Amino acid sequence: MATPDHAENDLQPFFVLHKALVQKSERKSSGSRKIRRRIELSPISAKNAEKMEIGTGEERDDHHYEHLRMEAFNFVWSKIESTIKDVLRNINLNVFNEIHRWVCESFDAIKSCGTTLTKATHSYPIVTDATFRQLFTGLVFTKNMEFVDDLMTFEELGLHLKSHGCHVANLSSIDFSANNGIGGCLRSLLRQFLMVTLDAADISILASWYSDQGNYNKPVVVIIDDMERCCGSVLSDFILMLSEWAVKVPVILIMGVATTLDAPRNILPSNVLQHLHVSKFLLGSPSERMDAIVEAVLVRLCSGFCVGYKVAAFMRNYFLRQDGTLTSFIRALKIACVEHFSSEPLSFMLKALFVEENSQGFWSEEHALFPEEMLKYAFDLPSCRRNNTEERTGENLAHDLSELKRLQKCWSTTVLCLYEAGKYNKIQLLDLFCEAVVPCLGNSTASNHHLGSGISSSSDHSIHHQYLISEKCSFICQAIRKVRDLPVVLLYQLLKSWEKLTEDVIEIHDKVKELQSLLKFENGKSLKQDLTNIPKRHTSRSHLNMDKDSKVLNEKAARLMETMVRDYMQPVECIPFHEIVCFKNVDKLQSALMGDPRRRIQLDLLEFQKILLCSCCSNSSKAILPSMHDTSILYTLAQEHGDLINLHDWYQSFKSTVFQPSTKGKHKLKQSPAKKRKDTNESQNQSEASIQVRFCRAVTELQITGLLRMPSKRRPDYVQRVAFGL
Amino acid sequence: MEGNYGEDEEFGFARNYFIAKELGGSGKKSSRKLSDIELVDEQELRAAARSIESKHEKEIGSLLNSYKSLYPKWVFELRCGFGLLMYGFGSKKALIEDFASTALTECAVLVINGYLQSINIKQAVTAIAEALWDQLKTRRTPSGDFPKVQQPFNSRSMDDLLAFMDGSHSEKNDCFVCVVIHNIDGPGLRDSDTQQYLARVAACSHIRMVASIDHVNAPLLWDKKMVHTQFNWCWYHVPTFVPYKAEGIFYPLILAHGGTAQSAKTAAIVLQSLTPNAQSVFKVLAEHQLAHPDEEGMPVNNLYSICRERFLVSSQITLNSHLTEFKDHELIKTRRHSDGQDCLYIPLATEALEKLLQDISQ
Repeated sequence: MATPDHAENDLQPFFVLHKALVQKSERKSSGSRKIRRRIELSPISAKNAEKMEIGTGEERDDHHYEHLRMEAFNFVWSKIESTIKDVLRNINLNVFNEIHRWVCESFDAIKSCGTTLTKATHSYPIVTDATFRQLFTGLVFTKNMEFVDDLMTFEELGLHLKSHGCHVANLSSIDFSANNGIGGCLRSLLRQFLMVTLDAADISILASWYSDQGNYNKPVVVIIDDMERCCGSVLSDFILMLSEWAVKVPVILIMGVATTLDAPRNILPSNVLQHLHVSKFLLGSPSERMDAIVEAVLVRLCSGFCVGYKVAAFMRNYFLRQDGTLTSFIRALKIACVEHFSSEPLSFMLKALFVEENSQGFWSEEHALFPEEMLKYAFDLPSCRRNNTEERTGENLAHDLSELKRLQKCWSTTVLCLYEAGKYNKIQLLDLFCEAVVPCLGNSTASNHHLGSGISSSSDHSIHHQYLISEKCSFICQAIRKVRDLPVVLLYQLLKSWEKLTEDVIEIHDKVKELQSLLKFENGKSLKQDLTNIPKRHTSRSHLNMDKDSKVLNEKAARLMETMVRDYMQPVECIPFHEIVCFKNVDKLQSALMGDPRRRIQLDLLEFQKILLCSCCSNSSKAILPSMHDTSILYTLAQEHGDLINLHDWYQSFKSTVFQPSTKGKHKLKQSPAKKRKDTNESQNQSEASIQVRFCRAVTELQITGLLRMPSKRRPDYVQRVAFGL
Repeated sequence: MEGNYGEDEEFGFARNYFIAKELGGSGKKSSRKLSDIELVDEQELRAAARSIESKHEKEIGSLLNSYKSLYPKWVFELRCGFGLLMYGFGSKKALIEDFASTALTECAVLVINGYLQSINIKQAVTAIAEALWDQLKTRRTPSGDFPKVQQPFNSRSMDDLLAFMDGSHSEKNDCFVCVVIHNIDGPGLRDSDTQQYLARVAACSHIRMVASIDHVNAPLLWDKKMVHTQFNWCWYHVPTFVPYKAEGIFYPLILAHGGTAQSAKTAAIVLQSLTPNAQSVFKVLAEHQLAHPDEEGMPVNNLYSICRERFLVSSQITLNSHLTEFKDHELIKTRRHSDGQDCLYIPLATEALEKLLQDISQ
């Protein structure tokens, strides 16, 4: 693999391995353009294009499909990404508007405080009035220790304020590092406001910029997204400076605070604090945002891409127990998406499936072009093999895919209805979602569902029922139970929200309507009763009656919910061809999302046979063989030591391990006494050197992996073990 | 379920640590010295290192070959905006460079050797920006208006370079420069400022990063912002068992290092480059130390008076300049005497010191 000139490059701090191959890239890009054009064309002309390209060979085909998958990924992910952005923006919109209002008020207050225009002509503001030196400061409480999740929030806030005519600069804790001092944040400010980089950053430049033509009548907002991570002294200098210049440059500060109200007091000294005129704002909590994202992306399936139950459970655990940030959840979703599109050959269909409103029509046109092997592959998918009765035509595939889409719609409607009910019990959508994707049914139900229009067979019923019973404390059951206990007013609200949610699924919608009319009737009655009873103090009897009536209604609603769960909430993994839209490989996701170097590198060393698959070392016993990798031998030997390893002992045991076969060698030597003794002496010497150098190299390699600490001056004959256990 | 598993693991860690600690402290700690081994001369060791035979060459070869099937997937992920992070035992240098030169031919590839001791990150970033500029120039469409470079890259600030790499210069999203970093956890890149810069580079829209780590604690270099929003790693466990040839070049051989012969030799080399007077001052100190092996060192005043008597120095200032020189080369050290006085000593064993005196008086 290595070319000779690499040896030289090894010692260069950096070098250019190669430049872009211009010609090839041009050719390829023209090719891709062709493909793109073809896709955008109507199916009929696409057919012609296909004809034209017949005979370009399989490789070309592979490339073509890979390109299609890439495009599908870009389409799907941009859809998901923009959905997430919208969701988060909507959640934050109220706070953003509130902040904007406050910015305007603060700006008016500053303006009314002094005729800044005249003062601006002075070279340096002479401030006598203390109120001038107050800096309007908005503390935005993120309710979240993980500031990563709020980076985007503050970016969005900046854009929001900008769009409402403020000058905005976004700073972060990196700008407030002790190394760069106040110059760092000033440079960053000037960069963002003036679009220039100056070595000698000075606030007077900012002041003269502000007094310039167009900039004058707008508030200047500086956003610091993670105030607690800033260097305290730099931040205080910055605040003092701004307050000194408050007359010339009326800066309004917005700072993100992850902890509590006393965060500024912990970082800033009191003489700085007195310059802050503080207002407070609250952002939505992480779980709120999480539920909103899960709803839009995974339940409402904004892009058509979905995940299997194992993946869902993994992502939930990862969020709840490991990382706890929304950012990482979204990242996990993106990795899942990439893995899906890079490994599932048919995944490119997802785009077409969800772009086309009338997918049936599109596919019936397209299926004629569908290559034979693709069809074969599609019908050989495990989810499809269960019902082999179907003819393997593109038409059937198209039909099944639209059926899949329909079933998913039903599923998401049901989950959303459940969530509406669960809200009264503070159930999180993420939990509910993870439960709703579990394919608790056997294979038979899948086909039943597929053939029937949703009327389930008795076996289906029983399995579902079992599931509901077996998991008594499941979130789904909790939600249904809550429906039973809901007071009339809330039940009314719930039915109203169900009505809205089920609009697309007529069967359920009708039933909900029915229930609603019943409730209205009941409600009307009870209302009337209430009205008549109130002045008289209603008798306990009528009250009881009313209770009973509403209980019946509750029961009915709960029944409806149960029916919906049973008949309509078909998890995606039970539907044929779900592999095309659903990502299930949780191991791949896990390994790509987070490496485990500490464990894996040690395992590499201790169980290297499993990776190298060599015949010489695959001994079942745990004995250390001389044929093993040197570093493996050494690390295995190290396991027998305490936290300190005596180098001498370690070397000796290494030597004796490595020398095991050399006993045979000696044996041979004895048999052939013709050899000169001097020779053996020399070879002994040489092998001593080679063993020592092998030992050295193995130690160096362990040192590179960080599994060893080198001898210190105090303990020159010992190395220290770093890792204990995997 | 998983929580319990994690707790068990944590418990296991602690238990293993204390077991190991106990093993170490239970009295059977071996006190044998490295010098008990008949150590081969360093020269000979280095020579032997060149002719070291490698094990499992065939298996390693087929292992590396098996990773080739992952190349298309890696390219796919790079194009989706992820960075690749390779880990696992063995040098991944050849693997990554093979991947870059066979599968990433459409973009420029710049390699940073993080295993070296010092790397000027600014220069590296400048080179990346230049590579990107070259690439953009060649792909430039005649209709597209292209920003002129006002300043050469090497005089631009880091922020400007990063802004250039993050800008939108091409309507297509797939024009990027791939930055390969061998050992992103290496000694030259390990400090937090450099990691911050690398993270910002990785976050640029026209940059994709492929990096390798070898240290088991490498992930501790990054906070959540860097991991999730900037580097955006896709992890790959790709053990290669290829020897760390380039990576280990600057590590001292443990059996050649720390021997008395070694440190006396380096000290002699340093001393020989100094003036005869300086050498004599050192000799005074060395002789004192040899004569009083149990003392903590020689008080500076004593040294001064003896050196003055022998006309080696004329003032405290000249003595101090000699001493500073010695200290810079770690020939002498100071420590606090039990009576509170600062005193000087040579951090060498008696035999090494004797050998050193012999060497310099030749």
